[in-house]
Formats: sequence, structure tokens, C-alpha cells
Amino acid sequence: MFREFKSIYNLNWIYLFILLIIFWIGEINLYSAAGGSFDPWAANQLTRFLFFLPLFFLIIMLEPKFIYNFAEIFLILVLIGLITTLIFGYTGMGATRWIRIAGFNLQVSEFTKIALVISMAKYFHKLNAEKTIGLFKSILPLVVSIIFFILVAIQPDLGTAVIILALGLVVIFYAGIKLIYPLLSLGAILSISPILWTFLKPYQQNRIQIFLNPDLDPLGKGYHIIQSKIAIGSGGLQGNGFLEGSQSSLDFLPEKETDFVFAIFSEQFGFTGSILLISLFFIMFLIPVLKTYKLSQVFNKIILFVLSFKIFFEFLINISMTIGILPVVGVALPFMSYGGSSLLSNLIICALMLNFMSINERKRMFS
Amino acid sequence: MEKNKTSEDSIKILNRRSFIIIIFGAILSIIVSLRLFSLQVINFNFYKKKSVENKLSIKLTPPLRGDIYDSKKNLLAGSSSLYEFVVFKNLSKDHLHEIKSLDSLIKLKLNLGEISKQLKKYNEYSGFSLSRASWEQIVEFEKNKFLFNSIKIIESKKRYYPYQNFSQIIGYMGQPTQSSELYSKGVFHLERSYEKHLRGTSGKIFSEVNAKGKTIREISIEKSIKGNDLDLTLDLTLQNYAQSQLPLDKKGSIVVISVSDGSILSMNSNPTFDAQIFEDRENTKIKDLLNDDQKPLLNRAFSGFYPPGSVFKPISALVGLQRKLIDSKNEVFCKGHSSLGDRNYYCWKKEGHGKVNLKKAIKESCDVYFYELAKKTNIDDIASLSSNLGLNKEYDIGLSNIGKGLVPSKKWKKAFLDESWYQGETLITCIGQGYNQTSPLQLATLYSAILNGGKYPIPKLDKNTPTRFTGKLLNNEHKKIIVNSLNAVVQEPRGTAHKLSISNPEFVKIGGKTGTSQVIRIKESEREDDEYKSKEIEERFKDHSVFVGYAPYDKPKYIASVIIENGGSGSAVAAPIAHKVLNFAYKNNV
Repeated sequence: MFREFKSIYNLNWIYLFILLIIFWIGEINLYSAAGGSFDPWAANQLTRFLFFLPLFFLIIMLEPKFIYNFAEIFLILVLIGLITTLIFGYTGMGATRWIRIAGFNLQVSEFTKIALVISMAKYFHKLNAEKTIGLFKSILPLVVSIIFFILVAIQPDLGTAVIILALGLVVIFYAGIKLIYPLLSLGAILSISPILWTFLKPYQQNRIQIFLNPDLDPLGKGYHIIQSKIAIGSGGLQGNGFLEGSQSSLDFLPEKETDFVFAIFSEQFGFTGSILLISLFFIMFLIPVLKTYKLSQVFNKIILFVLSFKIFFEFLINISMTIGILPVVGVALPFMSYGGSSLLSNLIICALMLNFMSINERKRMFS
Repeated sequence: MEKNKTSEDSIKILNRRSFIIIIFGAILSIIVSLRLFSLQVINFNFYKKKSVENKLSIKLTPPLRGDIYDSKKNLLAGSSSLYEFVVFKNLSKDHLHEIKSLDSLIKLKLNLGEISKQLKKYNEYSGFSLSRASWEQIVEFEKNKFLFNSIKIIESKKRYYPYQNFSQIIGYMGQPTQSSELYSKGVFHLERSYEKHLRGTSGKIFSEVNAKGKTIREISIEKSIKGNDLDLTLDLTLQNYAQSQLPLDKKGSIVVISVSDGSILSMNSNPTFDAQIFEDRENTKIKDLLNDDQKPLLNRAFSGFYPPGSVFKPISALVGLQRKLIDSKNEVFCKGHSSLGDRNYYCWKKEGHGKVNLKKAIKESCDVYFYELAKKTNIDDIASLSSNLGLNKEYDIGLSNIGKGLVPSKKWKKAFLDESWYQGETLITCIGQGYNQTSPLQLATLYSAILNGGKYPIPKLDKNTPTRFTGKLLNNEHKKIIVNSLNAVVQEPRGTAHKLSISNPEFVKIGGKTGTSQVIRIKESEREDDEYKSKEIEERFKDHSVFVGYAPYDKPKYIASVIIENGGSGSAVAAPIAHKVLNFAYKNNV
């Protein structure tokens, strides 16, 4: 089940270092969001991080084969978790997203992303003997992705659901589906989107309308976007400086510790800081991706590529929300938004990255 | 081997797809970066300004309103302190309950439903004024202060009017009518017309606030600037004295102006009101005042218009002199009436005045002399001279509802009554009856114009406006004849107001003209009736008593114009009042 301990020497220390830097930036940011106080967010987030650390190293030490073998089990576990959430879940802010396990509120949908990618990786790994994957072989993973999309969307948590579906599609695309199919389906989605619109809940329609024109409701739902843009824009090139973000410290910015945490960062550190942060996340994304070019096992490649992409993708979606180029759909900023489930799932992904990046394919792992 | 080849192919596909997705991610990053560039670099100033506006709160502090003084710097309108119960939502969650218990403790008679509705809209850090607090209420409140965490007593300013005799000139303040107006403003008379002058400039407290409006720190304070004071030409003592001379049971008015510069020295009207009730929000009194059919809000000195009666005669005489229809010597025989066509026009003295020249006609107020003159007179000459001498004009001196009155002409009658002019109408116009409508202030100005020889100072209330003259010069000889006759009215025996110099010989010597302004046209048959004067005429149909006089008669300084509604003849009622007031003004050198 576990690898030899000496394999830890092969860890990609640069990746681990970048992860720690990003988490540290997140901590500083939560500290300033509280007006220069560790309490409550920064301290809590650090406690969680330290609490999750043993699990983090445990996952690094797992045999990749173990993960491969249990891929479907993970998927079944999150399926059970999602159904449990829907039935017994804890409701907050109009949505049922959490279940309580051992004293923690767990957002199963966060882990769905990982489990789905792992099991799809296994599926395509098994198919790797075949040539480009036809439409038929892509249908099963597509259907599974859509099922999970629906299970999360009805919580309702459109943001996470869209990410789940997007990850499923990225896996299918990455695994080599003929390009004609994604293009066709894109066209199909665009043509039925007016019908999809009617399936959205009023508050979701509202969010999209207000995204398109925040001034429709400057004190209500548009307030988030307007205030966030003011905070970010007033940061300027250099930023106002650490703890000098007036919009955040004066409470103009709602949900500043969760979905809009980037605005806090950007108001303090400006355009320069924001570009540096984007670069850090981009490098973090690229390190596992570069490793995939040295690997030939489809399972390894998909895990490394798609899960690494997941963190970067969520990062971009979140920023796009705060700067008003995407509707506010509730996607957390990895390692920077306050919240346990998001932190844990991203730490698991990083552990998987570190694990899979140290694979030496000269040893045969999968029979 | 075959299997390995396909596997290698599929690896190549994966690597190519990986490249596409990386490019996709890079493009997304570039879009995000460009957007950030647009927000933070290109539009930085816009958002910086928004962020400053977001956190900056500007609280206005009301300025002190300028004071109003009489010509000797006696305060007529100032500011005094006022205390209010103010609730601050942030101080206690229980504020609604506290308001309720305050209401029951002190009996403020608050409209609780309306207040809680208004409060919902209110920022929790800015206070909401519940009601004014009297001393008794403050004492009661202080005793139970511990019960009220969210309610405080806050001091502010209200207008203070020490003398109610000025209310009809100074006016009063009213509540803001538009949301852009923050404080009460003048809504009547001088308070209204001098609003900009008196208001002053609001102070500003700039402070940084958080999203809930709570002040984090004060950044800077701009002090409010007190409004300008206003000095009036009025004289406190004369105004109060003149008011005391108006009969309490009669409506009436007295205006005193200065001959030399048109300054209005006093301007009274009865009944009057107290502007303070508006500031003190005495709602029942305000309601009574507004519903009073005696119309105390109407200042009869400039909003009350009456036929001038015989005080108008000097204008007719001047027209006659100018047109050479009469001179100082020619005589008319008054046998008590004059006829035009088949109609008789009667003199007030039924038995007639006998031989009458111009001086006697004015002194004894002979109507027949003027009827004979009127037969040769063009009404438009009367109208144009009237306008030259201050009638038919609306003086722009800051008073509300100041009227223009009416001086009839052919053109006017055609336009408003669609009838042509009859010479008979000229006859009654020449003795100041008929369509003529003048205010006491206009009559005072008319006499100022005569005494000044035609070019007269425009009446003024604001002491600091320069004196401006208007009108056309009269022939000096004509002026002398008229003034001489007006002096004789009081100073010579048989003058209609000669009684004044007999009953109060120690008073200043005055000249002037009596007038009796008819409320209803007396039928000719009634005129013939000997008992016309003694007949019981219903009070409201009694003639108005008019007198315009000036003192001292040889070197006129003051003019007083008096009307007592339904007072009877001018000589009996209005003239003695005018004499007393002129004497007071002269003796006190106002």
C-alpha cells in the first residue's frame, strides 16, 4: 500500500515550495481581511492546514497502484456522500452542500472532482491500447460526469457542478476524443442554452443577469461585483500596501474571506502583485504538466495533468468572478479562500501531484 | 509490437491535447491579466475615486441663520437653542421599545407606526429626531435616563422672533419641501425673499465610514458660516407704537415712510399673528391662524387694496393744472350735486360748499369741484399721472403677496371688462372711488411723490439698499398749490381735519388729506335721504376711513398712511391715529 520511505527523496521540492508560498500568501491575506488579525480566519485556516498535514504526507507515500485499484471505490464513496448530502445535509445560505462527519462539515462535492478524475483516468488507461477514442467509448464517462453534475447542481451549487462537468470534459478531451465531437457538442450546448436558462433557479438567473449588468441592482446582488471591482481597481499598479486596503477593512466588500478574497489581495498588492500571483499559479500548474511529457502511462498522465489543471482552472474562474468577467457562481480561490473542504481537497490534489511526479515508470506498476 | 505502436500514438495525442489545454489556460490567464490591467492601471483613477467616495462621508452641519435688525440694531429675528429627542439605532437594539416607553412616560404623542417605518430607512449611526423637548420633558427624561440607551437630547437652533408686531413683514420659516433641502427655510415675506442672504453656508464634517456608515475617524472639518444679517429701515418703537394705535376690533393698517429716502419706518396691519408659533410647531394655533376668516396673515399695508377715496383728489387736481383745465383761482359753485347727462353726482356735503376754488376744494374735500373738472378730463391722463406718482406699481421689496392695485384707464376697461369708458366713470374716479384700488403703502408713496415734487424715492425695507428715485418732475408751482391746500386741510379752519390741530395743539403740525372709501355704492335715492349717515348700516358695509398725512407740514419728514376698515369717515377715525403716529415719529426722531 505504501511506498518505501526513501522515495520521499525524489519529491519535487520546488512544487512543495510553491505550494507553501501560496498557502502563506493566503494566510497573510486572511490576516489582512480580518483587519490585521489572525483571529478568526487566518488562525483557523492554519490549524486546518496543520491538521491535514499527516493526511497530506500519507497520500504522498501511497502506492500509485493503490490509488489505481481503488479508483471506482472512491467514486462510489463520493456518490454515497452526495446522496447523503441531499438527504441529510446541512443547509446553509439556501443550499444543502455539507454533511457532518466526525465534527466536520464536509462538502462532498469538492472531493467529487478528484474521485471523478481518478476513475476516468483509470477508464481511459484501460482503453489506451485502442486508437483515438470514438464517440461510443466516451459516452460512459460523459454520462457519469453529467450524473455528478446534476447531483451537485441540485444542491444547488452551480459553480462546483460546472467545474465537475468541465473536468469530466477536459479528461475526455485530453484522453484523445476526436476533435469533431467536442466542437459538435459545443455547438449543441450553445443552441440549447436558451432552454437551459429556464432550468436555472431564479437566483441563478439573477446572478447571470447581474453579472451582465451589475448596475441593475447596485445595492443588492450587483453590490458584490461593483464593490469587488472598486477594491481591485483602487489597488492600482502598486497596490495600497499591506493592511492598507480601505474597501476591505471598512467592510464594503462582502464575502471577503471566501469568494472575494482575491479582491483583498489585489487591493493591497495591486496589478503587480496580481500578476505575480497568476504567475505562481501558472508555474504550479506547469510543473506537473511538464512531468506528463516524460510519462507514458495514461493513468499517470491524466491524474497529473487534469488535477493540476483543476487548481489553476478554479483559480482563474474565481478571479474572473471578482473582476466581473464571469458571473458570481461560488468557486473558491485555491489555498486562499477560507474554508476547510476546499483546502483539504486541494491539499489532496497537491499530495497526488507530488506522489505521481516521483513515479519512475521504468518500474512497471500496472499489469 | 503492434500494441506498443498504437500506445505510442495515443501518447502523442495526449501530449498534443495537453499542449492545446495549456494554450487555453495561458489565453485565459492573459484575458484575466488584461482585465486586471484595465481595472487597476487604465481605470485606476475612476475606481480610486469610487473607493474614496465609498469610505468618505460628508456630514453637513447647519449654519446659523443671519439675524434681522431694525434700523437701530434692535434684534427682530435671531436664533435660539432648541432641544430634541433623538434616537440612535446603533446604541441599542431595543430602540423601538425605548421609543414606546419614552412616549408613554413623557406623553410625546408620537406616531409610532410612522416612526418605525421611517427608522427602517435610516442609517443606524445618524440620529433620527423624534420630537422637540420642552424643559419639563427634559427634566422628566433626565430622571429616567437609565431607561433609554438609544435616546439622547440634542441641541439645535430654531428661529426666534422677539416681537410679534413684525411677523407680517419678516414672515416665517417652513419645513424643507424637497429632499435636497436639508434645513428649514424662509417661506414667507423677508425670510423667504432674503433666504439666500440669510441662510449662510453649511459646515462639512468629512469622515471615514465603514460599509454600515459608522464613523471610523474624522478627517477634516469645515466650519459652517453664519448667514448675513439684515438691517431693516423699520423702527422697533414706532412699529410697536403704531400697532397699539390700531383699534383692536377693526381691521386696518398704518404705514409710515420717510419722505427723503422712501425708508419704510413702520408698517402695521391688524389683526396680526405671531410667527413664533411656526417655529414652536404649535399646530393647533397654526391651524386656527390658517382658518381665521379675519385673515391675520394678510398684511393690509401692501396686500390690502381699497378705493382711496378723497386722498386721491390731488392727482385729479394736478392733471387739471397740467392740462390747464383749472388754475388756483377759478371757481366752481357747489350746490351739493352736479349732473352729467340724466344722472346726478352728489357732494358729501348735501347743502353744498358754495363758491369753491382749488384750495377750498381740497381743504373741504368738495366733490362737485372735481366732478366739474372731471367732465373735461381724459381718464387716461389720470391713469398716466397716477402711475408716475407711484400707484399701479408693485414695489420689489421682498414682501410676499404684494399687489399692484388698479388704476383704471380706457385700455384697461376694454381689456378686462370689454366695455368702453363712460365719462360718468371719470367723475367718480376723480374723487377716488369707482375702479380705483390702492394699498396704504401705495398711498404713502403717492404723497411722498407729491411732496418730493414728482421724483420720489422708491420705498425700501432693506436699510443697505441705496435710495433710488423714480417718477417725473412736477411743475413746482403746481406742487406748491397742492401742498399748500393739503396743509390747509389740517391747519386752517373748515379743513376736514382741522379738528386735529385743535384737539392736540402740542403735537407736531401736519398736513394731509382725509378720505372715505365707499364699500358699497350708495344709491342716489339714499344720498338724498337725510338719514343716510345715521342710518344703521351693517358693519361690514360701512365706509373705510382713510387718511394720509405728513409731518412737519412745513418741512415734511414723515408720511403716515392709515386705513381703518369700516371705520366711517376719514376725519373721525383715521386722521387722529395718523396724527398720533406722526407725532410719535417726530418727537422720537425715528
